[in-house]
Amino acid sequence: MTWYVLRRLAVSLLVLLGISAVVFLMLHLVSDSPGRVVLGQRASPEAVADFNREHGFDRPVVAQYVGYLGRLLQGDLGRSYKLNEDVGTLLARNAGRSAMVSLAGLVLALLIAVPLGILQAVRRNSVVDRVATAASYVLYATPSFLLGLLLIAVFSQTIPIFPAEASQSHSPWVVFTDPRAMALPVITLAVTSIAVFAQYQRSAALDQLGQDYIRVARAKGLPERLILTRHLLRNACLPLVMLVGTLVPTLLAGNLIVESLFNYPGLGLLFLNSLQREDYPVLLAYTLIGGVLTVAGNFVADVVVAAADRRIELSA
Amino acid sequence: MSTADGSANTDGIRLLTIRDLSVEIWRGDRIVRPVRGVSLALDRGETLGIVGETGSGKSMTGLAIMGMLPAGGRITAGSIDLDGRELVGLPAARYRAIRGNDVAMVFQDSMTALNPTKRIGEQVAEPVRLHRGASKREARARAEEMLALVGLPRPAERLDDFPHQLSGGMRQRVMIAMALVCEPRLVIADEPTTALDVTVQAEILDLLDDLRSRLGMSMILVTHDMGVIARHADRVGVMYAGRVAETGPTSELFARTRHRYTQALLSSIPSLTQDRREELFSIPGAPPDLTVVQAGCPFAPRCAAATDRCRAELPPPVTEAGGHVHSCWHPAEGPAARTRARLVVPAPAGSGPTASEPTGSGPTASGPAGSGSTASGPRLRVVDLRREHPAGGAGLFGGRRTVKAVSGVSFEVAAGETFGLVGESGCGKSSLGRMLVALDRPTSGEVIFDGEPVTRMSARALGPRRTELQMMFQDSNASLDPRMRIGAILREPLAIQGVGTRAQRTARARELLRDVGLPASVLERYPHELSGGQRQRVGLARALALDPKVLVADEPVSALDVSIRSQVLNLMRRVQLERGLSSVVISHDLAVVRYLADRVGVMYLGKLVETGTTDEVYGSAAHPYTAGLLAAIPEADPGAPRAPAAARVRGEPPSPVDPPSGCRFRTRCALATALCAQEEPPLTPVTGTHHVACHHPLGREESRS
Repeated sequence: MTWYVLRRLAVSLLVLLGISAVVFLMLHLVSDSPGRVVLGQRASPEAVADFNREHGFDRPVVAQYVGYLGRLLQGDLGRSYKLNEDVGTLLARNAGRSAMVSLAGLVLALLIAVPLGILQAVRRNSVVDRVATAASYVLYATPSFLLGLLLIAVFSQTIPIFPAEASQSHSPWVVFTDPRAMALPVITLAVTSIAVFAQYQRSAALDQLGQDYIRVARAKGLPERLILTRHLLRNACLPLVMLVGTLVPTLLAGNLIVESLFNYPGLGLLFLNSLQREDYPVLLAYTLIGGVLTVAGNFVADVVVAAADRRIELSA
Repeated sequence: MSTADGSANTDGIRLLTIRDLSVEIWRGDRIVRPVRGVSLALDRGETLGIVGETGSGKSMTGLAIMGMLPAGGRITAGSIDLDGRELVGLPAARYRAIRGNDVAMVFQDSMTALNPTKRIGEQVAEPVRLHRGASKREARARAEEMLALVGLPRPAERLDDFPHQLSGGMRQRVMIAMALVCEPRLVIADEPTTALDVTVQAEILDLLDDLRSRLGMSMILVTHDMGVIARHADRVGVMYAGRVAETGPTSELFARTRHRYTQALLSSIPSLTQDRREELFSIPGAPPDLTVVQAGCPFAPRCAAATDRCRAELPPPVTEAGGHVHSCWHPAEGPAARTRARLVVPAPAGSGPTASEPTGSGPTASGPAGSGSTASGPRLRVVDLRREHPAGGAGLFGGRRTVKAVSGVSFEVAAGETFGLVGESGCGKSSLGRMLVALDRPTSGEVIFDGEPVTRMSARALGPRRTELQMMFQDSNASLDPRMRIGAILREPLAIQGVGTRAQRTARARELLRDVGLPASVLERYPHELSGGQRQRVGLARALALDPKVLVADEPVSALDVSIRSQVLNLMRRVQLERGLSSVVISHDLAVVRYLADRVGVMYLGKLVETGTTDEVYGSAAHPYTAGLLAAIPEADPGAPRAPAAARVRGEPPSPVDPPSGCRFRTRCALATALCAQEEPPLTPVTGTHHVACHHPLGREESRS
């Protein structure tokens, strides 16, 4: 097990190195003259060249990358061109808030989707199953901005129980401290995921229900309820664990829309604003963090699945 | 045990009585009736064998007793009486108290039958906690005791293992422990050894027999294998199309087979004493559709003795002396005719290689087969072939562990000759087969076809040569594209090689279908519309489409039922003889290889341990492994002498990742000495054509006994 974890860790680090190189190169191709961005369109070419030389932006791209990597290892993500603030500090301030909202949405989605998916599998082709499947398809096909707007229209305008704007508090614990203000963003995030998770859980549970060990459990004389909790649940959740791991960055991307819709100051909103301001160090750092989260999500999923299902160690 | 409908339960000997049991299952808009009026009986301490082919209703009868019919299934009529208690209509909660406690079940595939994420100790202990209300510790102690009883070595240490950490045979033992842990009165074993190798099968069946008598249980053994029945059942029920064709005490039933189906079934089994020049007996047609209710005897359409009465009226059960019951209007007399079959049609005169010779020493273009040292050489020559796969995830920092699938195999196949490869699962025979037809490249070594090393050809050079090397696969269901019509499947190889126009290809496809005994209407069908036997015929036709010189058949009949198997075997034998093909037949079934092959190679853990003509290898096996394999096969004859336990191969094959030093078989060999661990025995001649790789080969007398 230890070996397996170490091996997966090493592979993850290599993947991250690759991601950073590709992203750096791509942003360099888009904008190889940060001086122009910082000093504006009206600055003289000499001033721009001076700025670039001063900050090392005239060096070969490989040298710039190595330098960036060196600073990265010391925890220096660079400085925002436009906000004149350390990118690390900027991201750290917003990351906690984004993570809490994403996590709340994810937990809410799983709490509903896992039992729902298993119920659908057990009652396959029943009315419950058909209605839930149909609803899933509708929700899955609904873009989150539309869903958010509909929720605002219904629960903020028609029946005003929730505010249309998310809390502007800087505390990451705002989900708990001001649940009423955070309800709509969290629900918007959760509903889209529920559709995917429930269908996924349903098909995973169906696969497992067809396995012989379920028949064996029945042959032992176990009541159906115990068959589900003792034998089915763990095996049927393994694929979902894997999926949730790979979905972590998608949750951030979802934030992009939900955060701007509800004007919630998280990473997504920061990214969107930086994009408009051509603030490349922030974009670079954000993309890198997305990569780190993806890789870390996969890594954690691999390890959790390997811990739950000991066959993995042999074949991975 | 006077009658099978078992009205007698006076003396308390009778444990289970099934009377007129009928089951129906709703599948969408169709109703399947897998069990139709079955009556069977079982006494205490007895083993009842239920034998039948796919769809005969044998498994469904077992599930009905367990009260575990699949979704949409229900018992429509009849009764199941367990020790005076009626099981049909029992409320779910009370049925649960019986399941796993009074009646238990052993399933076929222990890989999927054990929960992969639970430790085996917990799984075995679960019924004890459930039915006996034992504490966690008591249940664990009981599980350990039970695992010791089923022969799991060091059970205390294995309690916390996960199923994948055990070998197939060990998993089946855990499965048995789990079923027997509450000491049920009745255990239903549904094909308990079908997924296992023949040497392991013998051990597991003996274990079940032993436990049955030690724990005083009764057993229902559901199987398709008449050999298993003959050796392990006290009483037999032969099922066909949901009905009991014949039932009675084993010795009585085998000695005086009455029903025409039982007799035909017994005759179709290729035995180890089958005369290879005779065609196998085969039952024409296929089993009936279970969604249709037809009048008369279900076997009538396939029965040689059928009359109008058979087709119109259902034969009632007739009870004879000794509790022998059969349902046949025209019962047969005496024992089953085993070898009354026609001679194989010899190849048409004037065709190149003479094929009517039963042994491989027939005169061929390249001189005597097996020597292969003449100028023109054999058709196919394999020289020191090796194939190693990386073992699982040898990732970035993983060690260089490799599975040694094939480790230095050499043999030759002459033109028109059939070479048989036998061995247990994982011995590398299929890996070898794939390399023979260049579907896989070896790690080292050569496959030389007509003097050219195929293994070193570029993909481009290989293209046209592939026409001459073709393969027939085991699972015709998976190897035929489900979205292509049979016509397209047969035309495709011709189109790829640019043979003829579309019309010519269709004509060729029709011709091929005729050759394999299928009507031209099959051209327009999809694979799923055909039966297993028909699909396997299509698989053979596809392999023959390009008129290959070499045909490799990997387990060609393993997926087929006995009655269909003999049809396909006869067809393959006829095709071999008529076309003068060189073929390599790969199978775990020694009888199949014996029937098809002129020469045989026995593989063990990636190496050939014995080669020779079929008569040599089967008649006077020189390697202890070959002798053990032969001894492990249950013959479909209760009177057949059982091989002494010492001749059996014990245990299971070691991992091909770390094969034992010296002779790879030594860990399971009764004759192994220190020499065997140090030095690897080379293949050395016993006679001119018979070679064996063993330091202590068996003499002629020893292997006979």
